[in-house]
Amino acid sequence: MAWLVVRLAISLSLLYTASAVFEDQVGKFDWREQFIGKVRFALFDTHSQASKKLLVATDKNVFASINSRTGDLFWRHVDKSGPEGHIDALLMYGQDAVVVVGNGRLLRSWETTVGGLKWEAVLDTGSFQSAALIGVQDFVKYVAVLKKSAISLHDLSSGSQIWVENLPDSDTVQYQTIYSGGNGLVFVLGFVPSSHIVIVEYKIEDGEIMKKKSVEAAWMSSLENSCAVISSGNLLCVDQIRQSLYTLPLQSAEHTEMRQIHLQTLDLEVASGFQPVLTSTQPNPAQPPLAEFFLQLSPDHHILLQLKDDLIAPLRDFNPSYLAAFATSGEKTVAAVMTPKNDTVSHISKTHQKKCLSIYLYCNGLLFLLKACSINLFSADTGRRHLDTTIIYHMDPNGGKPNRLYVHAFLKKDDSVGYRVMVQTEDLTLTFLQQPGRVVWMREEALADVVTMEMVDLPLTGTQAELEGEFGKKADGLLPMVLKRLSSQFILLQAWMAHLWKLFYDARKPRSSVKNEVTIDTLSRDEFNLQKMMVMVTASGKLFGIDSKSGTVLWKQYLEGIQPNSIFKLIVQRTTAHFPHPPQCTLLIKDKDTGLGSLYVFNPIFGKKSHISVPALPRPVLQTLLLPVIDQDYAKVLLLIDDQYKVTAFPSTKNVLQQLQDTASSIFFYLVDSSQGKLSGFRLRMDLSTELIWEVVIPTEVQKIVAVKGKRANEHVHSQGRVMGDRSVLYKYLNPNLLAVITESTDIHQERSFVGIFLIDGVTGRIVHEAVQRKARGPVHFVHSENWLVYVYWNSKFRRNEFSVLELFEGAELYNSTVFSSLDRPHPPQVLQQSYIFPAPISTLEATLTEKGITSRHLLVGLPSGNILSLPKMFLDPRRPELISEQSREENLIPYAPEMPIRTEWFINYNQTVSRVRGIYTAPSGLESTCLVVVYGLDIYQTRVFPSKQFDVLKDDYDYVLISSVLFGLFFATMISKRLAEVKLLNRAWR
Amino acid sequence: METRVGSRACACVALLLLALHASLGHEHIKILEDEETPEDVKSRTPEEDQVRFRSPGGDVRVQVLGRALVPGVRTQDWISNARVLLDGDTHVGFIREDGGFSVSDVPSGSYVLEISSPTYRFQPVRVDITATGKMRARVVDYIRTSEVIRLPYPLQMRCTGPHLYFIQRETWIWSDFLMNPMVLMMVLPLLIIVLLPKVMNSSDPEMKREMEQSMNMLNSNQDLPDVSEIVTRFFSPPKSQGRAGGGARACVGGAPGVRGGASGVRGGAPRRRSKLNTAVTYSE
Repeated sequence: MAWLVVRLAISLSLLYTASAVFEDQVGKFDWREQFIGKVRFALFDTHSQASKKLLVATDKNVFASINSRTGDLFWRHVDKSGPEGHIDALLMYGQDAVVVVGNGRLLRSWETTVGGLKWEAVLDTGSFQSAALIGVQDFVKYVAVLKKSAISLHDLSSGSQIWVENLPDSDTVQYQTIYSGGNGLVFVLGFVPSSHIVIVEYKIEDGEIMKKKSVEAAWMSSLENSCAVISSGNLLCVDQIRQSLYTLPLQSAEHTEMRQIHLQTLDLEVASGFQPVLTSTQPNPAQPPLAEFFLQLSPDHHILLQLKDDLIAPLRDFNPSYLAAFATSGEKTVAAVMTPKNDTVSHISKTHQKKCLSIYLYCNGLLFLLKACSINLFSADTGRRHLDTTIIYHMDPNGGKPNRLYVHAFLKKDDSVGYRVMVQTEDLTLTFLQQPGRVVWMREEALADVVTMEMVDLPLTGTQAELEGEFGKKADGLLPMVLKRLSSQFILLQAWMAHLWKLFYDARKPRSSVKNEVTIDTLSRDEFNLQKMMVMVTASGKLFGIDSKSGTVLWKQYLEGIQPNSIFKLIVQRTTAHFPHPPQCTLLIKDKDTGLGSLYVFNPIFGKKSHISVPALPRPVLQTLLLPVIDQDYAKVLLLIDDQYKVTAFPSTKNVLQQLQDTASSIFFYLVDSSQGKLSGFRLRMDLSTELIWEVVIPTEVQKIVAVKGKRANEHVHSQGRVMGDRSVLYKYLNPNLLAVITESTDIHQERSFVGIFLIDGVTGRIVHEAVQRKARGPVHFVHSENWLVYVYWNSKFRRNEFSVLELFEGAELYNSTVFSSLDRPHPPQVLQQSYIFPAPISTLEATLTEKGITSRHLLVGLPSGNILSLPKMFLDPRRPELISEQSREENLIPYAPEMPIRTEWFINYNQTVSRVRGIYTAPSGLESTCLVVVYGLDIYQTRVFPSKQFDVLKDDYDYVLISSVLFGLFFATMISKRLAEVKLLNRAWR
Repeated sequence: METRVGSRACACVALLLLALHASLGHEHIKILEDEETPEDVKSRTPEEDQVRFRSPGGDVRVQVLGRALVPGVRTQDWISNARVLLDGDTHVGFIREDGGFSVSDVPSGSYVLEISSPTYRFQPVRVDITATGKMRARVVDYIRTSEVIRLPYPLQMRCTGPHLYFIQRETWIWSDFLMNPMVLMMVLPLLIIVLLPKVMNSSDPEMKREMEQSMNMLNSNQDLPDVSEIVTRFFSPPKSQGRAGGGARACVGGAPGVRGGASGVRGGAPRRRSKLNTAVTYSE
């Protein structure tokens, strides 16, 4: 009976777990990082001194508020992606922020403390030019929006439109800017290229045109950057070709020509080929702008100038200087200028190189990059430097150059001006600094746009490697082997003792002081290989190495000169398993238009570039192929096929070429040309040329190929077949060369559109199965794995998303059970299919992956709401019966139901939603039950899933107390009963 | 469970409404009704009249209006991470501080509008927009897509409760185990079997006869469930829950041992036997 109780306890504890998250598991093995993207507008809340808000609008159509003390997000609003959600302008006044969205289509006003929408106004269509706050008598009351052909004025508190006026001659004149100095007038400035400037003056109350004049300006090419309004309505323009400044008072009637001031008279010169930039500042929209302005003459030369009594006087020359910005606090306006800190560069000259080598580990080669900048504060009206205001900004040697500077000025207690700066670099790092150079926080916004990623096992520790090394070596006698084993066991014992001691030592300390900081030096594989290195490639060309357990960025590397529309492909050529060879990753960077590629080889654990010679790729790369063939250094061979079907091997040592020659006849690859609708298969020849062996043409007039996917190379299938209810076996059709090709019809009419599915053998080109889903359209998301294909499409007739599953079986007998060959499979597979309704839209689809493939599979569905649904594959089984029979019950088949359930308990990321999910990456861990999941999009979320629950480890809530109390109870019960039985026997004997 | 009940209730309501419609003489319920019903006119607000735009291309762009409400929660506490989504994120709207929302620039078609909030759950609503820009809202039904159950427009989205992301851990408490009726049923007879012979004087012949009589009475009633059966049923793990995944299957796989053993007991011990026998079987 007692064992029954134990059994009961165990079975109870196992039974009541389901594939969901327990509340106490929150944050235990999962983390989320939220990002915003490249900052386009950033405004500090200067409304009150204690305010910590920093409002940002980014190129990812995100409008957010950042805590400027910590860098965390207060709130974030993610608009729809694409041009319709594009943020055109961000204006701030007091507690409210006004945002112009979607090429001037919407005007939204946000309350900035909690992030609530105050009002939203829809504007007329028309391409957006400019927006400005308009003040009347020291109060900002209106916001004006300038479109290509109209100007409208809106009330700031309610959003209601005050008036809208068409602009005169809008078909010839390009109107670009608005200016208002708080005197009841709005000026709209436009120009006709190479002809004249047009200035239209509107009355604020009713939009009546007060005045309209045109001024000769034959040199004008653009108003936006080369012109600015300064000091009570003076238009100032700069022209690079004539090396001149032009001024014009906006309001006066008598001036019909712009006054030209040669830059030579100021001893200035614009660098050739550089478009000079004018920067002015208007601290209060209800008052005219300041008379001081910055003129940028070359990429690293700024000058602060002042307009006084129609004369331009230089206040201070900043040469060299990278960035300059104005900031205002209260009544004081300051200018912050970033200049290269010259002493750092010059001091590490040849004389100091020895010393430098001892200080900086990476000194060699990176010497010229090891730079710092200093930021100084100057008063805007005099150009005088504020004392003790230097901020040293150390540039990341693996990062890019700074390109934007945002200054937050504030008044200190002694009425002097203090400031903090936010620097944005080319590689989209936001760094927030305060005096004298302390980095308050840092955000890696490049991670908002992850393109591809891989997970790499962490290296073994020294002791583990020692033990592993024992197996790799050839045997050298029995006795040395035994001794070696003993010594390594001893080392392990030592390490274990040290570990125990550390545990004991840490246990005495308070919790908070024990902090397991993950650094690149302490990285080592854990016992179940649950912690891995996430190598992420971002669209901006920055690579990251992130610890999967904590989300800490361990290394980052910015690749300069990456085209914005490049395609990246990340390949793990050598894992960490081949100690002492370092792991090796190869990144193929391909230009989208030309197809020309280059390879970047690096160590995924430390992020350092390898010094392996990389083959030059003079021709566009069409296809890459990672072979299981390894060279003498255990690196897998990568084949690159160019547009002349020539093959380049990397690495291409003699050993590799020899192996390739031996195996060439069994190496096949395929190419997809979606513009011609052609799929072609090739075979490798001995001399690394190729021969065409099959070709499938899908006519492009009817349908176009949208996606082609094979199976994942690292996927294991545990069982060859499925046991049926009558104890027979249905064998799976496990063709590793099978390609799933998805096509969409070119006709997008609701009744005639369709989605096509082809299953093609990649070696022979044989079409194994073909299916057409009528009245359906994309986007199609699909997963191709084992013997099944799951795809999602939009049913345009019933306006819903539908899942369809295809499963391929060989039948009751296996043709050749030992090896699969595409060339010798005479029987076509049996195909089963079933479809289901999915009651939600879908962003992305992926399947879980485990070490040996024993664990049941789940599908991970990314939803637009940001949740990740873990859907058991059991629900997508074409053998789900409509009528339940004894056999189907025996097989554990769920009866067919048309609608797929969505349960919130199946959301693996509970309330940690991931915005704009773009991809889900799954990787096996050392535990068969556990699959590592990384979801990326605007945010990054990492977690573990247990599709069949944790069957191979004790659960977190395992009841040790119960089990030990039962055991002890039983032990004592037997002791006592034994004693009692003895006594009883004795008594009986005496009787 | 709750939602399923809800949907069933909805279906009932749907049937009722359908019957009503039919009885009132409405003919076919087309997916997009072009003629304006009197309700339509009534429900129109002055705001609604100005929300139809004709873009330069000629197609209608309308603004979908509504109001979202979470009872008992201040709007500013939940709106900052809530969004209004139409058909995924093809159209996005935000919720104002008064709970109202509008999704702008929506072309004609049929959409599912949902409010995505990480904390609160809302029922989605289908919004149909005709080519002329008329609008109506109805209940989302993915199976019978042409069925129309009207909802008020402008939309009234009411929170149906917080999301339940977590499942409860099964805790094992001694008192739970002991107060289980099955355990009580098992323990009490045991006590009786062990204690009764000691309390009663078995040498008394009168008592013996009485006991025999009562025993016979008990055994004559064949319909009474056997204690052994109750016990075995209790110890074999419940079958119905072993479906959720492979792990569960593993448990079930472990269970037949238990079940097999128990059935052996059942086979070995005939129904009509004394309680003493049962006790002996179980102390093995």
